[in-house]
Order: sequence, then C-alpha cells, then structure tokens
Amino acid sequence: MTGVLAQIGSFFTTPVAYAATEAAEHAAEGAEHAAEAAHGSGIHVVLKAEEVFNLFGFPITNSLIMTVITTVVLIAFAFFLRKKLALIPGKLQAGVEMLFDGVLNYMTETLESEKLARAFFPLIMTIFLFVLVANELSFLPGVGSLLVEHMGSSVPLLRAPAADLNMTLALAVIAFLVIEIAGVVVLGFFKYAGKYVNFSSPVNFAVGIIELASNIGRLISFSFRLFGNVFAGEVMLVVVGFFLAYLLPVPLMAFEVFVGFIQAVVFSMLTLFFIKLAVMEPHGNESH
Amino acid sequence: MDQLLETFGVDWKLLLAQIVNFGVLFIALTYLLYKPVLKTLDERKAKIAQGVLDAERAAEAAATADADAAKVVKGAETEAEGIVSSARDLAGSEKARILKEAETRAAAVASDADARAKEVAAKALRDSEKEIARLAVLAAEKVLRDSK
Repeated sequence: MTGVLAQIGSFFTTPVAYAATEAAEHAAEGAEHAAEAAHGSGIHVVLKAEEVFNLFGFPITNSLIMTVITTVVLIAFAFFLRKKLALIPGKLQAGVEMLFDGVLNYMTETLESEKLARAFFPLIMTIFLFVLVANELSFLPGVGSLLVEHMGSSVPLLRAPAADLNMTLALAVIAFLVIEIAGVVVLGFFKYAGKYVNFSSPVNFAVGIIELASNIGRLISFSFRLFGNVFAGEVMLVVVGFFLAYLLPVPLMAFEVFVGFIQAVVFSMLTLFFIKLAVMEPHGNESH
Repeated sequence: MDQLLETFGVDWKLLLAQIVNFGVLFIALTYLLYKPVLKTLDERKAKIAQGVLDAERAAEAAATADADAAKVVKGAETEAEGIVSSARDLAGSEKARILKEAETRAAAVASDADARAKEVAAKALRDSEKEIARLAVLAAEKVLRDSK
C-alpha cells in the first residue's frame, strides 16, 4: 500500500507517501512541496492541519474548527434526546439505549465488574462517539473543498479532525492518562508500579521494563493509527477524485465511512482493553 | 523529535485545545446523555422486574384461588349429597310412619264400623224380638176378645 502511494506521490510531486509514520523526516520536505504544489495545479495534500485564522495569537486550524463543529453537533444531539427522554422510548431513544446497553454489558463482561464498567462507560462512549462523528462528518460536502484565503494562500476551511495529529495525540494522551490512573486507583500505587518494576527475578525485571516501554508506546500507536487511517483515506479520495471525479470515489468513500466507524470502535475498545490490563491483579510470574 | 512534531503540525496550544474540547464534550455528554439514558434504562429494568414479580404473584394467587374454589365446590357437593341422602332417609321413614298410621287408623275405622254394625244388628234383632213379642201379645188379646 505504502509503495503504491509512494509511486502516486512521486508522480504528482506530492508527499502522499509520507503519510506513513516512519517517513517523518522526509515528510518535512514533503509538506513544503505540498505547500508549493497547492499554488499550482495538481493535488493539494498537506500533512498537518493548516491555520485558517489567528485568534489573539492562538492559531485556529481547519481541523480545530471541525472538532468544535463535531462537539457542538454531539452536544446538540444530547440536548435534543434528553428533552424527548421517556420511559416508553421512541425509535431514536431505543437505538441509543440499545447502543448504551450493549456497550455497558460488553464492558461489564470485559472488566468483570459492573461498578468499573459504569465508571469507565462515559470515557469509552465519548471516545467512540467523538471519533465516529468526527470521522463521518468529514464526508459532508464542503470539508476540504471550501477554501479561504490566509496569509496569501488559499487553505481549506474544514479538515477531518482525525487528519490532524493534534487531535489524535490529544485523545491518546487522555486515554494513556486514564489507563495509568485507573491502574493506580484500582490497584494502589505500589502494586501497580510493581507490575513494571519487579526485582523478583532478572526475567521479570526485563519483562516489566519492556511492558513499561510498551505502555508509553501506546501514545504513539494510538495517535498514529487513527491519524494514519483517516489521513490515508483522505489522500486516497483526493487522488482518486483527481483521476475521475465522478462515480469512482463512491465505493471508496463508502469504504472510508466504514473505516471511520472501525477506527472509532478500535480506539474505544483498545482503551477498554488497556484499562482492563491496568486494573488486573498482577499474577506474579504470569504478568507479561 | 522537534522536527517530527513540526512536520505533523503538533503544537502544544492546539493539543491543549483538543484536550479541553474533549473534556468539555466528556462532561457535557456525561450529564446530558449518559446519566439520563442509563437512569431511564435502570428505571425501566426495575419496572420490568417489578412487573414480572407482580405477574408471578398474581399467577400464584390465581392458582391458589382456583384450588380454593375447587375445594369449596367439592365441599358443597359433599354437603349437598349428605343433605339429599339425609332428606331421602327422612322421607323414607316419614313415609313408613305415615303408612303405618294410616293403616292403624284404617284398621281402627274398620273395627269401629264393624262394632257399630254388630250393635245395629243386635239392636235390630232386639227391636224385632220386642215387636214380635208385642204382636204376639196383641194377637193373644184379639183372640181372647173374640172368644168372649
């Protein structure tokens, strides 16, 4: 996949290939190329979210605008549903209830505790809804195609939130902190720390250190997984749209809608599983 | 590292903005969506559990009521049977008594009539004897008068 993208990327002299995380250094040049390419004809692909305007020295990027829109949509939906909430549910309420009940049951099974499931339900559900709505809203017409002038160049007004590493990294930081804090709160600091710093045997010590590193590695895997998927999808749609703007992007767009959903599921489920791993009692030699 | 962050446009201001945004969304959805919906779910669950319990209780009550009714009917039947049979017994004995009484009375009447008939016959005999005697006397007197 990366190879194909690299070919296309070099063909259009745009940094499509550099969506891959390993190519971070090259991407710097790529981004510059892209900025140049944006003025000429061809594909406009930029790795980072662009600043649309500046508010008292605070850069407002196109992704941030879309993030705020997503938040507003979700809160408006919550207000709307709350007003119509009744013991005998309507269709919408029944659907939401089915989702919540299913997720809560699944979490109870996974965490093996209804109390923990209810405690972590808001976080898992918010991650899921936020990523899902953010991804799916990005397929609305206008996202990426509406352009505004900023500092002499035209930039898209809106950009998929997850196509900005700031958003995915923020989610990853939140998930990471919640996972670690959950471990400390449920197990106690020393017991939790004992999972990673373990002097009972050299093997256990090594395993603990590796595990500690993998915990920190989650920050990267969490953020780049979501970013990579959504960004790659955007790029693919742009490239295909450049070849043939009509009909051809439709199946790919349908697939990207599915990817948007899957990424929301993956992000929230992984958070749940890591919470489970963090709150699990350490089993002596078994812990690995 | 700096270059990497710069390449992906990671900016602590934006990162913070995203975290704050998520925090706001988290709090808003928790109080506007999750708590009310989960409360409704719990309420409904409790209500359904109560309903099932009530239904079970009602079914139990109905079952006991059925058994009670059957018992009452059975009792009534036995009682009615007893009443009928005792009434039949009573009627039988009464009939026998009445028959016996009637027989006695009839016998009495018959014997009475017999006695009276006998008396009448005896009286008639006596009367006729007296008459015959008187007639005989009269005849004798006549004979005597003629002979004079």
